[in-house]
Amino acid sequence: MSFTSHAFLFYFLPGALVVYHLTPRRPPALRKTALLVLSYFFYAWLDPRLVLLLLATTVVNHRLVVWMARSSAERVRARWLAASLIINLGVLAFFKYAVFILEALDPLLQLSAFPGPRFEIALRAGISFFTFKIISYTIDVHRGEPPARSFLDLAVYIAFFPQLLSGPIQRFGTIDRKAERAASFAAQLESLPGAVPRLSFGAALFILGFAKKVLLADVLGKVADAAFSAAAPGTFDAWFGALAYSLQIYIDFSAYSEMAIGVGHLLGLECPRNFNAPCLATGFTDFWRRWHISLSSWFRDYLYVALGGNRKGAARSYLNLVIVFLLCGLWHGARWTFVAWGIYHGLFLLLERSRGRRTLYAVLPRAAQVAVTFLLVTVGWVFFRSETLTDAFLYIAAMFTPKEPAGGSLLLDSLLYTRTHLLVMASGLLLVFQPVQAADWAQKVTRARAVLLVFLFCISILTLFTQSFRSFLYFQF
Amino acid sequence: MSHLPPPNILLVGGFLAAIASVGASQALVALIEGEGPRVAPLLTGVPSAARVRAFESDLEESSWLARRLRPWAQSLRFSLLREMGDDVVPGRDGWLFYRPSVRYLVEPWPGHRDGLEGSIVSAIAAFRDDLAARGVRMLLVLAPNKASIYPDRLSRRADAVAAVVHDGTLSVIARLRALGIEVVDLFSVFETARRRAEPVDGGRGIAAELYYLGQDSHWSPPGVRLAAAAVARRLLDLGWVERGEAEYALKESRVQRTGDLLRMVRVESIEQSFEPEAFQALQVVDAVTAVPYRDDPGSTVLVIGDSFLRIYSQEDPGAGGLVAHMARELRLPLSSLVSDGGGATLIRQTLSRKPTLLAGRSVVVWEFAERDIRFAMEGWPVVRLR
Repeated sequence: MSFTSHAFLFYFLPGALVVYHLTPRRPPALRKTALLVLSYFFYAWLDPRLVLLLLATTVVNHRLVVWMARSSAERVRARWLAASLIINLGVLAFFKYAVFILEALDPLLQLSAFPGPRFEIALRAGISFFTFKIISYTIDVHRGEPPARSFLDLAVYIAFFPQLLSGPIQRFGTIDRKAERAASFAAQLESLPGAVPRLSFGAALFILGFAKKVLLADVLGKVADAAFSAAAPGTFDAWFGALAYSLQIYIDFSAYSEMAIGVGHLLGLECPRNFNAPCLATGFTDFWRRWHISLSSWFRDYLYVALGGNRKGAARSYLNLVIVFLLCGLWHGARWTFVAWGIYHGLFLLLERSRGRRTLYAVLPRAAQVAVTFLLVTVGWVFFRSETLTDAFLYIAAMFTPKEPAGGSLLLDSLLYTRTHLLVMASGLLLVFQPVQAADWAQKVTRARAVLLVFLFCISILTLFTQSFRSFLYFQF
Repeated sequence: MSHLPPPNILLVGGFLAAIASVGASQALVALIEGEGPRVAPLLTGVPSAARVRAFESDLEESSWLARRLRPWAQSLRFSLLREMGDDVVPGRDGWLFYRPSVRYLVEPWPGHRDGLEGSIVSAIAAFRDDLAARGVRMLLVLAPNKASIYPDRLSRRADAVAAVVHDGTLSVIARLRALGIEVVDLFSVFETARRRAEPVDGGRGIAAELYYLGQDSHWSPPGVRLAAAAVARRLLDLGWVERGEAEYALKESRVQRTGDLLRMVRVESIEQSFEPEAFQALQVVDAVTAVPYRDDPGSTVLVIGDSFLRIYSQEDPGAGGLVAHMARELRLPLSSLVSDGGGATLIRQTLSRKPTLLAGRSVVVWEFAERDIRFAMEGWPVVRLR
């Protein structure tokens, strides 16, 4: 169920809020159970079979962690951790990559007597996110954090519906101290408050995210789709499309995160921020401190550190960095374009690391550094957006080889430069390059802001009624 | 604003009212109209993703509030931003274009990558072979996209371009011809005619004869006559049809038409902001009785196709479409079969289901829209004739 779908916005969300807030607060298990049932219903809406997978994963990991916590022998604890990692990564690999592997092997399988099984794409939705949540939990327990008090607590944590499909990847008993100020999820589960200021913050954030998605991201998506689909776009068209995608992916994903955090607050649970003005980054190191923070900190704390981090010398830390970003690319999907995108970022980070975390253009004024970083990141998004590496290189060639559009692509301007698209591109650029973040703006709700937000919500809903549904970009990961 | 409640209450109240509005209005309408709960279909039978999607789609489409507000919101977006929805691309001088046709021209030919070209060629060749087995010859006619013939009415960048023919179209035509399939090249017919009609001002002459309608995705009456003449000439040149002896005359008829592209927007206020197109159409009538042309179900020539056949024939003024004008050129009444939007495959499936429609034919003229090469409603399966 997408946050901008009719079913979620007008039926599930009001229903969930009523059910949840009408459930007595004592004993806490009642509200947790309500939350779990709502989360499973939310996931089942996508495909009822998914709930079985989610439940089985939760049961297995709960048992493994209980056994791990019971033992004080490090070797035994490591064995339970290894079992958990193998199972979770195995599930992830199976559902996320088996389809691609089997598709690649299909010609061979067709020749053999065994045609191979068939899987549905829908089976992958959300798996990357909840698997990473589970892994962070099991590693944290292995590192000495207390396990969940009950199966119910763990089940609610894994299935918590606002975060289920696209994060943020919140941790259970710990917090990322660099990014979060709130209590851990486990601690919040014990209190589950719901005072009006938290509700109003949640509503404000949800509205801002919803408006960003419906009014900006979906339109930017149309621009990017048109440019990336063109046979022979001109240089200007190619840049226009790449910029549109760069804006779309940030606005779309940050909108989802804000809506998820907003819904969390409406339910009385605080979630970590996932973005901090990434378009204002002055380099790639800075970018990754601001972009998809819950994922980048996950990779830092659970992979980079595990590989040795900076502790084993410069050469090893460079290798670790490249490995982390290669895997970060692969996490998004089994496509060479994601691998290329990961390596592209890894190489820029490596370059900055080798220069003491300074970019090659650090001598420029700050605004110029921001602009150069944004353009370099935009070029990287071309790999991310393209279906194949060949498509990506052709598109980049169109961006960097001055030329006019050719053939039918002459007509591309009729699809690209409409009044709406120009207005939305301009609004998008203004939005991403201004420093105030939605989560900060929504902290203080004045009367004027409340009226503005309700008006914005009504306009966004009206817009939603007029356009065809577009899912969030990060649902595919 | 002192009469307003505190900001937190105002915001949360407004938010909750907005998200509850659709469900509440729907429940109220259901109550008034005595309808049962819509959730029933979801609860009967085994839950599945498909069942949920169908329910969700029904929920969205049947929303009373959304249906009431949608036209108003669309109208506002049109007034402010000239937006005309997902199907229509506004061009220049009030011309409108069908988005899939524009996309067909702008996007690369995916035929080589996904085997589409092979399936089209195989499907057409199989159809030709099945017809040949019955002693019926086939002539293929691709109706050009409007944007192929009038790219300059869509984009300023195409001012210097006479026509835009997609590589994919050319590639399919070349492969079909290599297999011995006869194809009428209407692209060069229209391009040449445009150049002749608009020699002075480079293609946007006001007085020039226009071969497509501004608000419609189809050809204009002069376009129909041009296409009919080209197809008829080809049939005669090939020797597949001999000119008959029927005497037809032309009768002028004034037509006012709200184009299909305008109707696709489905908002009355937007439709009304455009003047319906008024033009002269030529009806084909019996030279003696002046009775409008009628198909002869027993004709040896069957013309099959999509809405490019229907326009001016089953719509105003009647007897003015492609088939009637072909009949006049050939001096021979023809037979026709139309499937709106189904010129690629549905029409072949109809013939497969009803083989009697081919009884007594010697020629089938098969027309479909150029964009169907990629966007055919049912794809391009091979349909065998029984």
